[in-house]
Amino acid sequence: MQFQLDSNSSVVNMSGEFTFTDHAQFKSLVTRLFEANGTAVVIDLSKLEFIDSAGLGMLLLARDEAKKANRSLVLRGPSGQVKRMFGVTKFDALFDVQE
Amino acid sequence: MLGLKKRLSGALQAEVVSTASPSMQPHDDVPDPQTELLQRWMSLADMQQRVIQALVGEISSTSGFVETEAEALSGRFQRLVLSADQQTARVESLTSLAIGIEVDGEMVPIDRIAGLLESTLSDVVEKILLLSKDSMSMVYALDELNANVGRVDKCMEQLGGINRTTNMLALNARIEAERAGGAGAAFRVVAQEVRELSKVTQDVAVSMQAELKTVTEGIANGHTTLQRVATIDMSDNMLAKDKLEVLLAALILRSESLTRIVADAVREAEIISADVGGMVTGIQFQDRTRQRLEHVVDTLEVIDQAIDELKQSSIAAVPELAAHMAPDLEWVKHLLERFTMSEMRSRFVAQLLEGKQTGELPDDKSETRGPSESGAVELF
Repeated sequence: MQFQLDSNSSVVNMSGEFTFTDHAQFKSLVTRLFEANGTAVVIDLSKLEFIDSAGLGMLLLARDEAKKANRSLVLRGPSGQVKRMFGVTKFDALFDVQE
Repeated sequence: MLGLKKRLSGALQAEVVSTASPSMQPHDDVPDPQTELLQRWMSLADMQQRVIQALVGEISSTSGFVETEAEALSGRFQRLVLSADQQTARVESLTSLAIGIEVDGEMVPIDRIAGLLESTLSDVVEKILLLSKDSMSMVYALDELNANVGRVDKCMEQLGGINRTTNMLALNARIEAERAGGAGAAFRVVAQEVRELSKVTQDVAVSMQAELKTVTEGIANGHTTLQRVATIDMSDNMLAKDKLEVLLAALILRSESLTRIVADAVREAEIISADVGGMVTGIQFQDRTRQRLEHVVDTLEVIDQAIDELKQSSIAAVPELAAHMAPDLEWVKHLLERFTMSEMRSRFVAQLLEGKQTGELPDDKSETRGPSESGAVELF
């Protein structure tokens, strides 16, 4: 998985495949995201091609971190397999999922 | 009928009486015109009787034939009614099969099964999600613990360094105490105590190092195991729910279509049963037909009897009428040419010309040859 964080640490673009092997990288990313001040954090998934169950678990942990920091977490532009996984797991009921 | 017979008889007798003499007297075996005319009447009456008898025979045979065939047909229709009823019952049983599946004596509709399955699968997916989240949470915690252990390990290394320094200090103090001789006795004791303290500290540090190593290995093993669990990708299993939902939706649609088709089939089967039942009732016509034909036969027999009695009365009044007179073959031929069934023609020939009683109708009921094809007509 590759990611790019914008200058004010409020939008991150993820691409490639998001799996268990990305856990250390993603944890430090989440730490950085919620250290900064702001209201919402947007994770842009439009370039993400695949997510496994560990990836879904990490997003749920990121959601917990957002709650602790009183910030909202937006998942934007899921497509393909990622969108189908979100549909099956009813992620739209847990996150603010934007097309 | 009897009145008509008496009137006919009386009229004929009066006519015979009024015209018999003198013209009825035979002259050299040549009958007079009136006698000849009466003889022709007698011949026609004779032929009429034969025709009546032949018709009675035909009607009786036909009535019997119709009754036998109608009974056979009725039997077949009754079997058809039974089959149609059984077919209706089978189709009705299909209705329940189309609606759902019987489980422990209870009919569970397909849509309820689909709902149950969907609910179960949603629950499974939810648990997989929770498991994934908890696994990753534990992975994070173990990563954190591993980092803590690493820091403790560094502290232990620092402690070892301090201990080595302390030990060196104790050794140097001992050397200096020895150089000082008697004056360094107390210093020698302190140096010895520090050295023993350093040794004990070193032993504790070694022991802690060993324990820490065990903890580190335990964390590493736990991390490996957790990694194995967390890297099991359940995404395909989750997406299986998606596929199953599509399949179940298709199954429900098919079940609904099947239910509609079976309902149509049940309606059709009931209509067929009702129609066949109606046909069984309708086929009972042969009873009334037989009764009507019996009346016709009875009437023909009364007419035959009346003609016979009139013939006898006429012969009694005019004995010359008893003389044989050949049948009017031309008339008979014209009559028989009207028949299209050769076997019927044959029976009439036997009855009319030979006076034989005919038997039952032959099996070949459908023979309808034209007059020219008939062997019977060729007899003329």
